[in-house]
This record gives sequence, C-alpha cells and structure tokens, in this order.
Amino acid sequence: RGLEGRMARAEPPAAIFERRVLRSAAEHHYLRVRLELPDGGARPSVAQFKQLVVSALRELHGEVGAALPVDVLTYEEKTLSAILRVISSGLVKLWSALTLLGFYQNRRCAFRVLQTSPFLLALSGNSRELVLD
Amino acid sequence: RLPRRYVLCEVVSEDPRCRQCIEDRAVGLAVREAIGRVHGDYGLACCSISFTVKYLNAYTGTVLLRCRKDCYRLLCSALPFVRQLESRNQRYPCSLNTLHVGGTIRTCQKFLIQYNRRQLLMLLQNCTNEEERRCVQKSLLSCSLTEEVSQSGDEEDDDGTE
Repeated sequence: RGLEGRMARAEPPAAIFERRVLRSAAEHHYLRVRLELPDGGARPSVAQFKQLVVSALRELHGEVGAALPVDVLTYEEKTLSAILRVISSGLVKLWSALTLLGFYQNRRCAFRVLQTSPFLLALSGNSRELVLD
Repeated sequence: RLPRRYVLCEVVSEDPRCRQCIEDRAVGLAVREAIGRVHGDYGLACCSISFTVKYLNAYTGTVLLRCRKDCYRLLCSALPFVRQLESRNQRYPCSLNTLHVGGTIRTCQKFLIQYNRRQLLMLLQNCTNEEERRCVQKSLLSCSLTEEVSQSGDEEDDDGTE
C-alpha cells in the first residue's frame, strides 16, 4: 500500500511500545454492606454476623461456598454495617448469597450492598452520603 | 441440540447387600443429595435440569449418569461425597468411583467394553483356587460374538452376553 511513496521519504524508526491490559487483577474485592433488621430486636455481635454470612453462603452454594475465604474487616453493631473482604473469584457467590438471604434467627432481614470496589481506599468516601455545607 | 456429558462410575461397597440397593431412583437421589450438600441450592438446581441415571448394572455396579455440559464439573466434584445408598428403608455405605466422562453414550460404551475386558483378565489373575479359575474361564469362553447385519462397512462387533 503506497510503498513507493514511503520508500521515497525517510521514515523515522517506529517506536516500540507494549501495552498491557489487566482486567480484574486485584486479588480481593471489598464490599460495604448493611444488614436491615426491621424488628427492633437484639443486634448480632460480630461473630454472629460472620456466622450469618457463612450460613448464607452455605445455603446457596453448599460446603464449597461456605469454605470461601470471607473476612469481616469492620463491623458497627449500632448501624449493623460492615466491610467484607472476599477473594475476587468468589465475589459473585458472596453477593448472590447475601442477596438471597431472608431470615436471621427466624426474623426477617435483608442485606443492602452499599459500595463495592477492588480497592479498599475507594470505600472510604461515598458521594451519596456526602453532606455539603 | 443440547450438549450433554455422560459420567460413567462404579459403585464400590464392602457390604455385598448393597447390590440390591443399586437402582436408578436410589442412586439418583443419593447423587442429588450429595450435590445439594456440596454445592448448595444453586448447584442442585443447575445440575438437576437434565440429570438422569441412564444405565445401571447391579451385578457389576456400573452406573451411567447424564447431565448438561455446563455443569458436569459440579456433578463430578460432588460424586466423591456420596456416602450411602438408601432404598426400601435400608441404607448401606458405599462410594462412587468415576471411570470415564464422555460426550456421547457410544464413547462411554466403548470405554466400558474395554474396561470390562481388563477387569475379567484381572479376575482371572486373582483367582485363588482352581475351582474359581475354571468358573471364570467357562464364563469367558461362553461369551459369543454376534455378527451384526450392518449396511455401512466397518461396524465394530459387540462382545455378546454380559
């Protein structure tokens, strides 16, 4: 294609560059979740919260799901919100298990996932709850 | 046309009475319960769509299961977790050995024929006394080759009676 024209002009040497695209390279995913318990009963402690998450995984995804490495990084008993960390390959399993969880000790409950990100730093700010003075 | 996977496995049990439990309903229930335990509601629903017990042989303990291609890994990983077979209110401990996974019944059948041949030879080698040896040899020699009347050229002859 137009080789004669090219050979007439002096071509600068082509730059050598390499482009690497990493998709989902992060090892862990972080989720900020809130548990909603509409009846004003006793609030679960952090151990009971973790047990709830693991039992949700066990119901939907069996023993394999229950063995997924999930960590509760922070937990506030007053607001029932927590930050969970999970291996990236297990994000879909965890999120689907939390979505389909309906009961905690025979009380109706629901998990709301507020934020999710492969970087923990991104969970520190939330533009939805931003208050502008 | 739906892609399927056929999993050939054999039932291994120390209790000889387990043979009478090997029937399609009992085996199907046991496998489904194992999938439900290991992979939860999602795995059970995923694998049950096209799951059946296609073929059973209670004498050799051979079972052929069918499932969809997308979820055969869930099924194969749950087979070692089958602990017992239950039928007519009797349960016997057993385990399932996976022999072969194939895409069609024909490939599984080919494998099963070769596998049974090898098993018969091993049985002959492991005979402890002359009586058993004569029994095995008699049953081997009584297998007959049936000529199939085939239209197309090369058709493999099946080993006759099993």
